[in-house]
Amino acid sequence: MNAALEHPTTVQGLQRHKSPAAILRRLLKNRYVLYLVSISGLLLIWHFSAVNFATSKYMPTPWMVLKELWRIAHENLAGKDLLGHLWSSLHRVLIGFAIGSAVGVPLGLFMALNRYINNLVKPVFDLIKPMPPISWISLAILWFGIGEESKVFIIAIGAFVPALINSYNGIRLVDPALYDAIRMLGANRWQTMMEVTFPAGFPALFAGLQISLSVAWSCVLAAELVSARSGMGFLIILGMTMSNPSMILSGMVVIAVTAYLITVVLSKVEKWVCPWKVELPQ
Amino acid sequence: MTGPPAREVKVEVVGLTKKFGDLLVLNDVNFSVAKGEFLAIVGPTGCGKTTFLNLLSKLIPASEGQILIDGSEADPKTHNLAFVFQEPSSLPWLTVSQNVEFGMLIKGVPPGERERRLRSILDIVGLADCANLFPNQISASMEQRVAVSRAFATNPDLLLMDEPYGQLDVKLRFYLEDELLKLWRELGATVIFVTHNIEEAIYVAERILVLTNKPTSVKAEIHVDLPRPRSFIDEAFIDIRRQVTDLIRWW
Ligand SMILES: Nc1ncnc2c1ncn2[C@@H]1O[C@H](COP(=O)(O)OP(=O)(O)O)[C@@H](O)[C@H]1O
Ligand SMILES: [Mg+2]
Repeated sequence: MNAALEHPTTVQGLQRHKSPAAILRRLLKNRYVLYLVSISGLLLIWHFSAVNFATSKYMPTPWMVLKELWRIAHENLAGKDLLGHLWSSLHRVLIGFAIGSAVGVPLGLFMALNRYINNLVKPVFDLIKPMPPISWISLAILWFGIGEESKVFIIAIGAFVPALINSYNGIRLVDPALYDAIRMLGANRWQTMMEVTFPAGFPALFAGLQISLSVAWSCVLAAELVSARSGMGFLIILGMTMSNPSMILSGMVVIAVTAYLITVVLSKVEKWVCPWKVELPQ
Repeated sequence: MTGPPAREVKVEVVGLTKKFGDLLVLNDVNFSVAKGEFLAIVGPTGCGKTTFLNLLSKLIPASEGQILIDGSEADPKTHNLAFVFQEPSSLPWLTVSQNVEFGMLIKGVPPGERERRLRSILDIVGLADCANLFPNQISASMEQRVAVSRAFATNPDLLLMDEPYGQLDVKLRFYLEDELLKLWRELGATVIFVTHNIEEAIYVAERILVLTNKPTSVKAEIHVDLPRPRSFIDEAFIDIRRQVTDLIRWW
């Protein structure tokens, strides 16, 4: 009885399978198919505009960029290969990010917890906040020279701002109902802070660190474009002075891929440190 | 009437008045609750039931008047009370069992005892299977059960409940009301149970306070002297329901 009922639907399903329109519909439902279409479309348009337009002298094809990537990965460019330059940039980012967040996070927490500190720091912070970090570059070079310090300074400023804002907001915007819940249990101030304030503020704080890191990554490039002897920004400038657009584009690709990988890693870390943010299917 | 006349007083509310700016919410409220009593408070939405419980647990200050628990000014730091809020209030970063344990942790219950109570209470309310899930992974009704368990687990001698089952479906409501009664009898706690569901109040309470509209005072008190388990179709039950319904016709 059951089998008899199911049988026709199976047959119909098989028939639908065979029609081209149905196959297309099935393919379109799979998002990876469209991802593939999107990327290959970009590469195609890129390729044809590189081959056919007047600017093609300065517009290499994707294939040329790929070959260039292979070349700079193995060749010495001003003392380092591609990975060496990538590491120079990452190294600066990590130091600047560490300094910026080590200052920004505690300051944001103290501002959120203490209104005197808040009133003292907020006016100055509000002045610094809207300045693009790179606008400090000239001063930074005058103060620290063209070495590592000036770049780290720019990055630290860039990372500092979102780290502070998000840890401040994370604490300020804790759901008051959670405070009620712990207070009626007779908790003291210390318990309230350790058991509610910090855990509740942590996701926002962590989101701030994610933003800080991506800001830091754009800051290092900006700083290296202005003056550097190593790093991804330097590679791009090198490509420009050598009139080698393939090298510039290779650098840009590596920068984008690195930024993407950083985001992926951080969202994995977030799942690990905030497992309770992950929803299970009901 | 309930029990022997000389029951010890647990909570005494004297001339309690609460204003939010110009809005007079509670206007000279007076009553007392006996030790171990199960008191239900019914009143229209917005009359100040939640406000009253917040005053009682010192979450907000009173404008005038006093609330005494065991003869001294109410204070969650010294009195052993627990509160089940109208809204879900579990901590999102703790699992179900950690949430239930949380109240005991704050109140300094020793670890062995904590573990023992935790296991028994999770079984009673049927949360043992999802002990390791986080609040965003369970349904609203389960979350409310977490809040109830967290409160019960602290062995409070005064339990405040603010329309705790308002969001739940009827079947689960009956079940949890029975669980509540069971725990009440076992722990001997004093319970103040706020609701706007009259049948629920008659089902669980020994005594019902009926409140007026804002500005709010106590309109009447009704003793529910029915044997348990109570039945909704029992004549005496229906009688009391009619009585209360008459009182609140003007809501
Ligand atoms: N923090 C507050 N500020 C101003 N008005 C409030 C506040 N809390 C409650 N109210 C008012 O007090 C009245 C009683 O509220 P509430 O105690 O929540 O009522 P109930 O729980 O009985 O439905 C309502 O009119 C509400 O608007
Ligand atoms: Mg309410």
